[in-house]
Amino acid sequence: MQVTRSRVVPIILSAFLALPALLAPYGSTGLAAQEPVTITGKVTSDAGLSLGQVEVAIPAMGLGALSREDGRYAIVVPGARASGQTVTVVARRLGYKSQSAQVTLTAGGVTHDFVLAANPLQLGEVVVTGAGTSMPAEQLGNVRNSVSADLIERANEWNAVQSLAGKAPNVIVTQSSGEPGSGSYITIRGSRTVGLQNSGSAQPLIVVDGVPIDNTSFSTTDFNPTDGLTAGSIEGTTQSNRAADINPNDIESVEILKGAAAAAIYGSRAAQGVVMYTTKHGKAGPTHYSLRSSTSVNDINHTYPLQRSWGQGLGGAPPGNCNGSAGPSNFACRTSWGAAIPAGTPTYDHADEAYVTGYTSDNTLTVSGGNDRTTFYLAGGYLRDRGIFVGPNNLNQRATLRFNGTHRVSDNVKIGANMAYVDARGNYIQRGNNTNGLQLDLLRSPPDWNNLPYLAANGQHQSFRFQNPQVTDGNKSRGWNNPFFTLNVPQNTSNLGRIYGNVTAEFVPATWLKVNYTLGADYSNDERLEGAPQSSTPPTTTGRVTEGKLINYQIDHNLTATASRTFGQDFSGTLTLGQGLNTRNVRQLANVGRTLIAPQPFKLSNTVSRDVPIDAETVIHDASYFGQGTLSAYGQLYLTAALRNDGSSTFDQNHLRSWFPKGSVAWEFTKAIGERPVLSYGKLRASYGEAGQEPDPYLTSTIYSGITVIGGYTQGMGANPTQSGFGGLASSIVKGATSLRPERTKEFETGFDVGLFREKADLSFTFYNAITSDVILLTPLPPSSGYEREAKNSAKFRNRGYEVSLNVRPIQHADLAWDVGLQWASNRSLVVNLGGPQFVYLDPNNISPRVAVVQGQEVGVFYDVGLAQCGISPAGMGAVVPGFDLATNVPNDATHPCGGASQGAYFIDASGLPVKDNQQRVIGNPNPRWTGSVRSSLRFRKLQLSGLLDIRHGGQMYNGTRAALYAYGTHKDTEVRADCSGATCVGNMHAIGAPDSPIQGPVVGPGAGTPIPIGENWYTDIGGLFGGTPAQFIEDAGFVKLREISVGYTFDEPWVQRTIGFSSVELRVAGRNLKTWTNYTGYDPETNLGGSVQSSRGLDYFNMPQTRSFVFSLTLNH
Amino acid sequence: MRRLLTFSLAASLTVFGVSCSNFLSSDKVKLDPNNPSTATANQLFVAVQGGQFAQQEGIIALIGCLWTQSCTGTSNFLQTLEKYDIASEDTPSAAFSSIYEGGGLVDIKQIEAAETAAGDQQYLGIAQVWEALTMAVAADIYGDVPYREAAGAVATPHLDPQAQVYSDLQALLSTAITNLGGAGPGPGPLDLVYAGSTSKWIDAAYTLKARLYMHTAETATGFDATALNSAVTNALLGIKSGNDFKSKHTSAPGEDNLWFQFFDRSGFGQYVVAGQNLADLMVARSDPRLPQYFGPASPGPGFGGQGPPNASTKSPAGVSTLTGTRNSPTFSQPIMTYIENQLILAEAYFRLDGNASRAQAPFDLARAAVPMPAKPIATVNDIMEEKYVAMYQNIEVWNDYKRSCYPAITPITTASGGAPAAFGGKVPGRLYYGTTEQNANANVPDRSVQNQVGGNIVTTPPANAGFRNPNDPNPCP
Repeated sequence: MQVTRSRVVPIILSAFLALPALLAPYGSTGLAAQEPVTITGKVTSDAGLSLGQVEVAIPAMGLGALSREDGRYAIVVPGARASGQTVTVVARRLGYKSQSAQVTLTAGGVTHDFVLAANPLQLGEVVVTGAGTSMPAEQLGNVRNSVSADLIERANEWNAVQSLAGKAPNVIVTQSSGEPGSGSYITIRGSRTVGLQNSGSAQPLIVVDGVPIDNTSFSTTDFNPTDGLTAGSIEGTTQSNRAADINPNDIESVEILKGAAAAAIYGSRAAQGVVMYTTKHGKAGPTHYSLRSSTSVNDINHTYPLQRSWGQGLGGAPPGNCNGSAGPSNFACRTSWGAAIPAGTPTYDHADEAYVTGYTSDNTLTVSGGNDRTTFYLAGGYLRDRGIFVGPNNLNQRATLRFNGTHRVSDNVKIGANMAYVDARGNYIQRGNNTNGLQLDLLRSPPDWNNLPYLAANGQHQSFRFQNPQVTDGNKSRGWNNPFFTLNVPQNTSNLGRIYGNVTAEFVPATWLKVNYTLGADYSNDERLEGAPQSSTPPTTTGRVTEGKLINYQIDHNLTATASRTFGQDFSGTLTLGQGLNTRNVRQLANVGRTLIAPQPFKLSNTVSRDVPIDAETVIHDASYFGQGTLSAYGQLYLTAALRNDGSSTFDQNHLRSWFPKGSVAWEFTKAIGERPVLSYGKLRASYGEAGQEPDPYLTSTIYSGITVIGGYTQGMGANPTQSGFGGLASSIVKGATSLRPERTKEFETGFDVGLFREKADLSFTFYNAITSDVILLTPLPPSSGYEREAKNSAKFRNRGYEVSLNVRPIQHADLAWDVGLQWASNRSLVVNLGGPQFVYLDPNNISPRVAVVQGQEVGVFYDVGLAQCGISPAGMGAVVPGFDLATNVPNDATHPCGGASQGAYFIDASGLPVKDNQQRVIGNPNPRWTGSVRSSLRFRKLQLSGLLDIRHGGQMYNGTRAALYAYGTHKDTEVRADCSGATCVGNMHAIGAPDSPIQGPVVGPGAGTPIPIGENWYTDIGGLFGGTPAQFIEDAGFVKLREISVGYTFDEPWVQRTIGFSSVELRVAGRNLKTWTNYTGYDPETNLGGSVQSSRGLDYFNMPQTRSFVFSLTLNH
Repeated sequence: MRRLLTFSLAASLTVFGVSCSNFLSSDKVKLDPNNPSTATANQLFVAVQGGQFAQQEGIIALIGCLWTQSCTGTSNFLQTLEKYDIASEDTPSAAFSSIYEGGGLVDIKQIEAAETAAGDQQYLGIAQVWEALTMAVAADIYGDVPYREAAGAVATPHLDPQAQVYSDLQALLSTAITNLGGAGPGPGPLDLVYAGSTSKWIDAAYTLKARLYMHTAETATGFDATALNSAVTNALLGIKSGNDFKSKHTSAPGEDNLWFQFFDRSGFGQYVVAGQNLADLMVARSDPRLPQYFGPASPGPGFGGQGPPNASTKSPAGVSTLTGTRNSPTFSQPIMTYIENQLILAEAYFRLDGNASRAQAPFDLARAAVPMPAKPIATVNDIMEEKYVAMYQNIEVWNDYKRSCYPAITPITTASGGAPAAFGGKVPGRLYYGTTEQNANANVPDRSVQNQVGGNIVTTPPANAGFRNPNDPNPCP
């Protein structure tokens, strides 16, 4: 039997249709007979602060209310249910210890005030642990990392993934760029897989309200395999990640399941960890209205260093004819190696001219409330992010609707629904490794060329390589576009409609048994358009339209039953049994049309010819069973054990199911030894777990392809299998795998959590060691075998690290409070084994340097060629210095070229130039040495001040932009240059290796110490992109970033209510990414060419800049 | 209400909970729904032709064009390649893969197996000629290459000595010629080269045999008369006038000429211009093919080229782009031609005789086909010049250079990164094995070994002799 959409949809629909009826006021009769009883009071903290948002409830009656900002609450007990009895009233709020009181419901009303003690260690709080399970925080056997709504709100990020940046140790979030709609990529505790392209599988599983959702990123360029041969996702536009469809304002809390021990409950999808978002829910009590409105002003956070002294040309001379189509074929028009620009000649600020101030507005209105039977939360949000680039095409809009409701059908049955609708629309700009990309067009512009106007008087597109176009030049390549043409004319859009959510039912047949059922669905339709106008750079010179659709539908079913039992007074335990089914279907429908008939519109119908269409689908079915048992002994020792059995259609026929066990122990040793003034709380914990990673679907099929192009060697090239009207098929270059199991991470984790100085401070320490075996690689095969790759469970990785967090609360008074949080984490990955090949590229399509897994190295190192260096160059440099192997350093052998040289010395040839290796080696590592953050907040009465520093230490970036701008002579570093107007270059003499030279460090060889001119000769050759090596452009990408800083004030005095009718008004001024301290010389060390699409990290090639923002927000509560 | 809930729960349990034995293993979820799992010989044959047309017009032909200075790379990876810097470029690796993978040997072998089973000898013969043409590129460019074990059951095929590959190919072509005379019906119109004409295929097989005998004729001490005589014997049976072996293209993307794709679609075409060496030669010859090969020079008038490396020298008329009339999506690229066949004859005769006695006639026939007026042969270089011009954009120009050292070009010495030293200051005579092959096949020697011994893993040539294959024992100046 197959689960099909047609069977599941009616169930969801019927559940939803039933909702309005369920939400009708419960028990509308019999209330008028008796007087209601009102319980009123005030909630304050033990420091004397009025506490808002405290849930005060009578659990037995299902009644409750939320306290307002002044701490006051009121619960109305209907007269029919009040008979003078004594009830238990409980007050609870995150971050405080909950408290209960006995209150007698006497006619006329009663008053009870609560004073809540701070609970910085979150003891007693129930933590969602995934797949329908939960447990109190102190019982967790693994480190807990949660992020509260407060922290999400203060981050002021539009993207729910980006909001997590700097919030938890070893949770590294990288935003692709500062463009509106730009995706964010998340890694937890290092890379445990290589992540096959576009699968998103190198990232954690994202779960919203208990249901896994789609968080893929897809580049529209991948709809165009013909032109995208080497491009993939490193050109085209930025792309969002689909978890960005969550409105951060709807988030109540986030739990991050780090490591296999925590995530094992998600089995074969959890090897990279799990991020679980819980959205806000209504609480019983008066209806709350809240409007949060924020506006931010954004600008570029760093302008690119460009020279403005030398004009267009070559060899110190003007370029000659750059008019019309003579320009692109005249090499001298390309570069800024021309003559010195005479004083008084206008130059143009290409570093700054393409930017404007961007504005973001983000408004969310929520209405929530409920009664003893029914709660609801209804929110509507609209985000409009107008980016920092000139022109109409950088705009991200997101409208979100959310309805969360629960209804208690009877005393033991509760049903609920969490539903979200998203309308996300993005307008993007071409970027990256792309001659139609903005930064490439912009930063290569000679300083003496005015990019404006981008259209000549006759309406034709003009650029510095194609000046004075004629009206007949409409279909000719401009060499490179005018950047303002790139900003204004092409159209790149993504329009997505998505609905996701779930219906739930909770059934308590007996006091010891609870049954939970969740049926979730996630459906989206993403329509993409890439319209490249006529006169663009090849391959789109005559115009091209790519139109495509991504349709994604997922259904998730999860049924759990939990039994609880106490054994005597010292032991208690729970047993959960569960079952899950999951189906994921993806459809891709796309067409590429070439040669526009009329310049507009960008429609397939307006093109002369069409490529082979894309018409692809994938289906994945998962089926699982799991069980989890917990046992607590003497109120201090907690044991958890779980076992999951997962089946997936992506495994091969002989390995359809896999087991994933976990076990943990936590011991609150302070309960045994007693609380001490210094050590007020202490817990030791240890856990072990296994989690897996499914392969991509269909890797076990041996197939023939009718669409994969053959024989091309650079983008836009290749032959189709079909030719001249005859259908053709070629063997796929990927051989069908004969055996494929899930990747499996076995992780041991241990650590402690302690409360210090009467909980004025708490400290948490964790060590983990994760071995990932059976890592699936598209293992290279010898092409001579007939195939290029085969998916194999072949590699073994290790990730090992430490995580420390320390929170200190030195001052906690009613009027003044100050706290500081420090986090530090390190992760070292190691490729233990690759199962055969010497290296495997992470993404088969990429620029140089290639990013690879190499045995004995960290995952994802840069693997490419460098300059010849003693002791570093791989064996085989014998060809450079005949007869000698530079890899073997022989300090005392005077006859050896490296004799006496220090390790790493550059080999300099007789002319004074360094020489290149001809073999690939590890030339850099993008993984940071350690990461950390410092958070502090200060409250003085109702004024709050907070800030977050995000620190990434170490880790490298390939600055390909610099390499290219060196070659084109526009980089600031090329401003001081040798005079190359004669037969040879003269002046600006530097000896390679010297501190003032382009390459510093020890040198050796016949030309060591010989000064050479540094100018066009150097930068267009071995000193730049086209003659040099990637190793020369690897830079330190560590940074300290002022992620957040904010000042807020809350008005909740009675006059606020009287004059404007709101219970409280909060005003906040915040800054986001205001300052970055870094040695990185590009735009920003937080960037990645492959965005959130590719798993390779650390590449910058004409990436878009990052932004900084000032945010003004106003929150009105009623 | 409670009943409704119970019903819903029961219903969903029914939907999901019932044991679905094929939920994880039905064809729908197991088999790739997007691609067929079987292919017929006809389908494979179409793809092989597309793939091998692309291979003949691809990166090797471009590198040959750059290194024999018929064209010049001015920037980006084209300039890197121009300067013999193949170490840091992955681009040439694609060509190695194209020999063996889908659209190459692996599919040719499947066609041969299917047609052997079907008893269609003509089809089999055509597939065998394709195999020989494909593997000839492998042996010509990489020297010792996997062949006997390639695209079969062996996971990591061994390298076969280059001479053995050539002799295997001669034998294969002889078999193909026999098969082509056998039972049909053959591929008919699916054959994009000769539309199933077995006589034309037999001629082409002879020309290919002649070409490969020329590739094995060079010895350390001169030219091997046996090989030259074999070349003559086969060339006399080779391609007739008007029956050139050419690629076939349409204007649809992916079915168009690869050189056209390079210039018009890749964005990198702008970085290759006419080589001054070829352009000046053709201008001096008043060659009628100038407007076919090149666009007008800038500033002009006329045609011209750029000398290597960039910006050093230029023709008097300036520099032409490669946008002659050949730069059309539908241009059929000559792969083996009547002119080549005549010039093989002329070269073989001249080398055998040491004079123009027998060489002059085929030489004049070749020139007449251009058309160019008859001209007396003074030296073998006259023949090689004719071939250099005629075979523009063909891989064979580079193979001819390795044997004849024509044209008399100066290897680039201002290369970045010490490349001339790496290759002994010579024009490289081969390419590195593809990076994937290098990575995944332990039988492939390290690049350092390839550098030192010129790719021949058996014989060690003298240091700095260049980077050459075993069939090219003598360095060029």
